[in-house]
Amino acid sequence: MNPLCKPNEHALSRRQWLGGMGGAAAAGALGGLVSPAVGEVLKQKEKQVLFIWLDGGMSQLESWDPKPNTQFGGPFRSIPTKLPGIHVSELMPRMAKKMDKICLVRAMRTQDNSHSAGVPRIQRGDPKNRGVIYPYFGSAVAQLMGPTASGLPPYVWVKPGSGGFKPTDAGFLGPKYGALAFGDGQPPPNFLRPATLSPEQDTARNELRRAFNFNYAQPRRKANNEANTYVFDTAEILLKRREIFDTSKYPQKEKDRYGNHLLGQHMLIGRKLLEAGCRFVKVNSYGWDTHGDHFNGTVSLVNRFDQAFAAVLEDLEATGQLDHTLVIAMSEFGRTPRINGHAGRDHWPEAWTIALAGCGINAGAVIGATNAQGTFVKGDEYDIGHMFHTWFRALGINPDAVEFDNGGQPLPIAHDDMGVIPGVLA
Amino acid sequence: MKPGAGVSVERPMRPIIFICALLPVLAGWAAESLSQRIDKLIAAKAGRQPLAEPASDSEFLRRVYLDFTGQIPTAEGARKFLANPSADKRAKLIDQLFADARWAETMADRFHVLLMERRGEEEEWRKWLVASFKANKPWDAMAREMLAPEGTDAAKAGAWFFITKRLEKYGQNPTDHPGLTRDVGRMFMGVDLQCAQCHRHLTVKDYKQLDFQGLYAAYSNLRLQNPNDTIKVKWAMESLLKKEMEFGSVFSETKKTTGPRVPFGVPITIPEFKKGEEWAVKPDKKKGVSGRLKFSPLREIATRMATPENPYFARNIANRAWFLMMGRGLIEPLDLTHTKNPPSHPELLDLLAKELVAHKFDLKWLFRELARTQTYQRSSVLPKGGAPEHLFASAKERPIAAEPLLRSVLLATGERDRVTKLDEEDAHSLKSFGDLFQGAFANAPREPELAVTPTLKAALFLRNNEALLWLVQRREGNLVDRLIKLKEPAKIANEAFLTLLARNPSDAERAMVKSFLQKQPTLQNAVGDLVWALLSSTEFFVNH
Repeated sequence: MNPLCKPNEHALSRRQWLGGMGGAAAAGALGGLVSPAVGEVLKQKEKQVLFIWLDGGMSQLESWDPKPNTQFGGPFRSIPTKLPGIHVSELMPRMAKKMDKICLVRAMRTQDNSHSAGVPRIQRGDPKNRGVIYPYFGSAVAQLMGPTASGLPPYVWVKPGSGGFKPTDAGFLGPKYGALAFGDGQPPPNFLRPATLSPEQDTARNELRRAFNFNYAQPRRKANNEANTYVFDTAEILLKRREIFDTSKYPQKEKDRYGNHLLGQHMLIGRKLLEAGCRFVKVNSYGWDTHGDHFNGTVSLVNRFDQAFAAVLEDLEATGQLDHTLVIAMSEFGRTPRINGHAGRDHWPEAWTIALAGCGINAGAVIGATNAQGTFVKGDEYDIGHMFHTWFRALGINPDAVEFDNGGQPLPIAHDDMGVIPGVLA
Repeated sequence: MKPGAGVSVERPMRPIIFICALLPVLAGWAAESLSQRIDKLIAAKAGRQPLAEPASDSEFLRRVYLDFTGQIPTAEGARKFLANPSADKRAKLIDQLFADARWAETMADRFHVLLMERRGEEEEWRKWLVASFKANKPWDAMAREMLAPEGTDAAKAGAWFFITKRLEKYGQNPTDHPGLTRDVGRMFMGVDLQCAQCHRHLTVKDYKQLDFQGLYAAYSNLRLQNPNDTIKVKWAMESLLKKEMEFGSVFSETKKTTGPRVPFGVPITIPEFKKGEEWAVKPDKKKGVSGRLKFSPLREIATRMATPENPYFARNIANRAWFLMMGRGLIEPLDLTHTKNPPSHPELLDLLAKELVAHKFDLKWLFRELARTQTYQRSSVLPKGGAPEHLFASAKERPIAAEPLLRSVLLATGERDRVTKLDEEDAHSLKSFGDLFQGAFANAPREPELAVTPTLKAALFLRNNEALLWLVQRREGNLVDRLIKLKEPAKIANEAFLTLLARNPSDAERAMVKSFLQKQPTLQNAVGDLVWALLSSTEFFVNH
């Protein structure tokens, strides 16, 4: 078992987190901000999450669960991996060499076969319908674990397209647990200090603001001023990490290794955000919904994913961060074994694969299997609710003991008819 | 002493003593105002919990200005009020602000945010809200106009927005009839029946599926329509309801039926009409006639829901009015009224509801009574040892919505007139600032704004937004200009605090300002930064 990540070790409650937040805010008020975070977070070995979302549905048959030379197998071969007897698609040569670092669950069977229902329901862990909108995994982690000691926003999202504040991910937890999205890898509006304002002047005016706030809040209830202090300090901490968003300064070699494509560059930014100390980093890739010309499309999609995923795992491992970072790579469903009339594959929630690595995960395990043609799961099948149980446990949160509090109504953090997937946790 | 001498002296006294002793009792319930009775009940419940001091003149002034004019007072106004020695200046100010034209506008703003939860704006809706508050339309009448809008009456058409905005599709979601049904329950009865849509409520015993479905029978029956000749706004067509709606719990196989029904009320029988005789006015799309049903479930619901006979209705608005004034409802959450979630002050909520009914749902009267209470006029500075929120022993900090915050910022920085004159396209026009402030400080659509919620986006906006920082640059006649001309740090501090916070700085604060101004290389930047630091302070950001 990984000594750093014992499940159940610290079941975190909301109260603890709020206490932690107050502490961080107080530290900010007491002269100066937390020192540059990389070292801090590494030192603290706080648990983090890298969540890679391949939007539209990655084909399991052209990636983690190939069935070459079968009716639905498609044109690609499979290749042996670091794990004896385990093969992956030839489109993943880099990950084939790293299979001992990850865990595959090849027995996913979920409920939704449309994007509009699947994307949110999968990311919300598809809890029973309780008449409330459940938070996405990132918002759930942000609420249950809070920001790390870095003080950086706990849930950030690197994605193509628009950025900004995405409150809806948070569901009933409320907008403050939403995602801070770096659209096209760019920081949010008003992120940079205007050129007309010198850093010294900025520091001075903020010191004055803090002093006024201190006077005001002293005899009053503390919560509002603490929250206000926290967001102002977070803005400052983010600003200090602005080099993360200036990819022009990244070494060319590093950029090449992740791949000169959106997913590669966004994965690289994602890694830097993890290093800086964001609790939960989601990296999005779009365009996986290959209903037509699937095989040509898949060559480049899977290749890019293979490159970026292998690179980020390598780096997280090299810095020791993988030990306390839960890594998840998945879509809202897999793709049909049946090949349609446009040489495409459609949506298939019946039998697909999720890849996991890092914190608390049994590296080198391949859990569950599909039948010979890859059409259905053979043996035990797992829903996304099982996966949420497994993830929370990997992060040291016990879903049987920890609940959400929806204005007095206790709600389970993961589907209460399900449990951990056997064999996945270290 | 002769016997009897004492008696002759004492005799006339007796009736006097008797009357004196009875006076409070006799006059008590007849002459004691609602505000006095509220304070008694709050004090009784607080028991030995110490109460906060009365708010300072500054705190009071800023609070009533934000609550009833939608912006902070001017420096001049603050100076005059603070200097005024008269004992009844607070009561007089309340009367003055309740007579101000801005009262109706501000109420309209606050009810808009409360009722629409940032779904969007609409001119006719706003006009209707303002006109309603201006005329001091009773709340039950306002509610009926929203619940069953009479679109053909131009003066009432704006009320359609409550329903129609909720029938608009957003994202990939289907038309949200359940959401509309839920909000009718939440906003007008203080009950969130959403969880009882598909089965009995799992945590609230009082809420039955029938309670949701009876309301749903009326509000699922609506289809969004574009404006026409008779109704100048978007409206919704009510379909003919001939029979009861069937529903069943997902937990059982049994099917039940219901006609339109106010939650916890009696079912409304659906009358039978001969075919072709269902309409009082037949709808005619070509001629732009919207039609009028003889039996309208909406009208039936509206007349039965918004009435003194429905105890939930009066208690809901009493609780919401209390919330708007005190920052916390007597029942929390505002929309979770049920037996297992009693009010913090049951007698008080009963009293407010009863008095409101006796005053024919006169909200202006209720808000004025609330404004006159010591409870409202308490300081947010905690008494020694603190005070639990639910006792209302001290004032609670409340959020300032994006719009009053912008008005206050423009007023304080002395840029309002300049900004108002600029072309809409200008980066510093009123419209530009309106958009910026909504973006930075308003919640996302469908998120209620109930508490002070500092956010990262607001902090980034205040710290770095160029238009915001433009307001604290020196320009002819603006606040920074005025302050620079004062030269002396103490005068600058006084004027800045009075303008932004409606109070004088403490000696410590004056010293802080002085040392800050002296340390900075140029007075010009330094004064701008001082104004910025006050604008970005927690004290400015909340209504305390």
